[in-house]
Amino acid sequence: MKLAGSLVLSLVLLATSGCGGGGDGVTSITLYSPHGRDLLQLYEETYEAAHPEHDVRWLDMGSQEVYDRVRSEAANPQADVWFGGPDTMFSRGVEEGLLQPFRPTWADSVPESSQHPQDLYFGLYLALPILVYNSDAVTEEEAPRDWEDLLDPRWKNKIVLRDPIASGTMRTAFGMILSRSIAETGDVTAGFEWLRRLDGQTKEYAQNPALLFSKLTRQEALVSIWELTDILLLQRQGSPLAYRFATSGTPIIDDSIGLVTNAPHADAARQFIEWVGSVEAQELAAEKLFRIPARTDLPREELPTWAVDVIDQLQPAAVDWDRLTKDGTAWMERWDREVRSKG
Amino acid sequence: MTGGPRRTRWPLAATALTALLLWLVGYPLLITLIEALRSPSGGFSLETFSTFAQRGEEWLALWRSLWLSLASVVAAAVLGVPLAFLFARRDFPGRRLLTALLTLPVSLPPLVGVLAFLFLYGESGLITRLVGGFLGMSEAPWRLQGWPAILLVHAYSMYVYFFLFARAALLATDPSQREAAASLGAGRWRILREVTLPALRPALLGAGLLTFLTSMASFSAPYLFGGSFRVMTTQIVASKLNGNLRLAMVESVALAAVAFFALVVSRRWGGGSVVAVSHGVAAYTAPPLTGFGRWVVPAMAWGFAFVLLLPHAVLIVLSLVPTATWTVELFPPVLDLSNYRTFFTDARRLAPVVSSAWMATLASAAALVLGFLAANLGRRQRGRWRGLLEGMVVLPWAIPGTVFAVALAVTFSVDQPWAGRFLLIGTTWILPLAYLLRTLPLTGRAAIAGLAQLDPAQEEAAAALGAGRWRSLWRVTLPQVRPALAAGLALAFITSLGDFVTSIILYTYENRPIAIEIYSNLRLQEIGLAAVYGVLLMLLSTVVLFTWGEGRKAGAI
Repeated sequence: MKLAGSLVLSLVLLATSGCGGGGDGVTSITLYSPHGRDLLQLYEETYEAAHPEHDVRWLDMGSQEVYDRVRSEAANPQADVWFGGPDTMFSRGVEEGLLQPFRPTWADSVPESSQHPQDLYFGLYLALPILVYNSDAVTEEEAPRDWEDLLDPRWKNKIVLRDPIASGTMRTAFGMILSRSIAETGDVTAGFEWLRRLDGQTKEYAQNPALLFSKLTRQEALVSIWELTDILLLQRQGSPLAYRFATSGTPIIDDSIGLVTNAPHADAARQFIEWVGSVEAQELAAEKLFRIPARTDLPREELPTWAVDVIDQLQPAAVDWDRLTKDGTAWMERWDREVRSKG
Repeated sequence: MTGGPRRTRWPLAATALTALLLWLVGYPLLITLIEALRSPSGGFSLETFSTFAQRGEEWLALWRSLWLSLASVVAAAVLGVPLAFLFARRDFPGRRLLTALLTLPVSLPPLVGVLAFLFLYGESGLITRLVGGFLGMSEAPWRLQGWPAILLVHAYSMYVYFFLFARAALLATDPSQREAAASLGAGRWRILREVTLPALRPALLGAGLLTFLTSMASFSAPYLFGGSFRVMTTQIVASKLNGNLRLAMVESVALAAVAFFALVVSRRWGGGSVVAVSHGVAAYTAPPLTGFGRWVVPAMAWGFAFVLLLPHAVLIVLSLVPTATWTVELFPPVLDLSNYRTFFTDARRLAPVVSSAWMATLASAAALVLGFLAANLGRRQRGRWRGLLEGMVVLPWAIPGTVFAVALAVTFSVDQPWAGRFLLIGTTWILPLAYLLRTLPLTGRAAIAGLAQLDPAQEEAAAALGAGRWRSLWRVTLPQVRPALAAGLALAFITSLGDFVTSIILYTYENRPIAIEIYSNLRLQEIGLAAVYGVLLMLLSTVVLFTWGEGRKAGAI
């Protein structure tokens, strides 16, 4: 009991003495972001070096969770900047009034299609769903070349997918299949049939990216669909993963940024958003952490070679983004009810 | 309740406490129910409820939650109760140490525990590969999936409730009763049936109810292992993540209703006569095992402890594996301290540990006080008051953590002091409040079970000798229920320390707890670092369990 008492006492002392927030005259900027520690820490350090009057604080979480949190904190917002996630997620946030307008100067360098018409959010990077495979177990020759190849009998029970309910990337990939179905046949029936066949091939739906990668690298499954940046980062860490762009096209997701409604430190947040889209910050992210800038005015010679390669190889897939934003929720509910583990 | 404790002369205190509990526990749930009944257009309607009722898979999920929880109770009791008897009644080498080891599954927080199971028994897990290799199979001999996997995790983590509660009750019973029965010619089984089991009943019911409700609210295991085997909690999260908050609310109402029903049923079973024991203190020395059993029983107990500790071991190993180095090998090819180095060289990584520690301390202490007060006042009241008080204390366990968090977030997202609603969302205080509510059933049930075993004659004697209420409480009541309270407190602290499901909704930058950091590390593919936090959590929990959960054992013997 005495030991416990002293333990508790010392912890309470630690709690009250340690971690005493920012000092006087320093404004904190809180980011909610799915971008991960690497990028967030890099930005925090680089930005604070140039702006000692600001303290950048971030919470890393899934893109769907950012939306969920901003929504549930709407009465007493804690976040200043909603930093990252597919634009479809942002447009749902807009419907609920979670974002306020702010047009940074770099907005003019971003394609019109990557901007919200009332300046509520802007595309910052491109996120690209690709075909991933374990390069120890699958040769480049054998690896699937297109989405269609995933239905090949040889991949039966060799596919692991991130659970699409929680993943913006997977939702977009499935949305692309359904968009295609609408464009070709007029409705989503064929698309759902395709997804059911994919479900029949799928061994498991992983509940988070780490488990997805763990299952891929440990060869519990060999093939998947995931987002390019993560795979490039894993490759650099030595993971035996390789990727390929689907020949019929890649759905291009605008990974966006926006200012939260009633942000507690809105002015500081505006300065941060301004900086994040700057040439300096975009090149930094591209060079160090495999982000593909959404800005189209960056000179090719200043981008790393991998980024130039990607931009050259990229075949955009046709996706009906408006329809996906509008019907995405209902589609995923239907998928969950009628397709999951039914194929 | 003839022969029960004195009725209190001050119903005011009970009224105030009931009001407080109703506001803390009942009110947010009421608001959730109202929200669930709200139609998209703003009025009230049963629209979402009828959608729910028409879907077969919703009923299926509810049914699965129910039978899986019942199966968990059976599995946990079958494991826990015999062990409690063995460890309370027999002495053998290493008994003290083993007792401590057997409670260790509680020190494994849900998220981390499930992860450890995955790396042990999962398809590419250590044990799976060992067995597969031994049998010469090229495919994994089993897959850690569906209900067997969930049941395995539940039995593993929840048998401890039965073990701890039954053992505490056994230690608190008076051996002279059994001796008396034996000298009157009662056989072994008759003593068990007519003396021991009635005394154990409150503890068994308490443990059974806790196990049932914990399984109903269990999330991490069904989430990671369930696949298409959906239970109600995973159904709720799927609905919520898919943006259908209203359906999620209706699903929670349905789940809460089933759990509430279980609560009522268990009260009916347990609400009858409670046999008071222990007139005076008779020291009981457990007899040593003799003959064959002297060797076999400890060997089996050690073997069991070894299996129980495998997840802890694999967690420690994982914390030593540098990122992305353990792929298809049976054992990790590289082990070093790089994850620990990262942890200790970055001050920011320590912040979650500090947050979790202070919040868990505050929440479990408050839960202990509230739980004890409610139990102590409740036993002096008539049926209805008592039911309300004790019901409010146990109710939060029936509510899935996620939903309770959402309910708190909804209730305390407006500033209407006149309606009992304050703006707490986004502040540091809402999370400790959620911990308090989530752990209230742990301290409350422990207090109820402890008090139920108390002999009212002692308090009456104290009163007759002129001891005031406080003196009697302090000198007579508290010392006797201390083992039960300490066990409840230890469980409450550990639960708060490792909490994940409520934290994920209510944390802020300032108070982000350990489990959130682990979750974040997992997202960032830093499995090794997640394991470092897991090891830390495990160590902290273990220390607490040993000092609080065990330290007062002497008082019971």
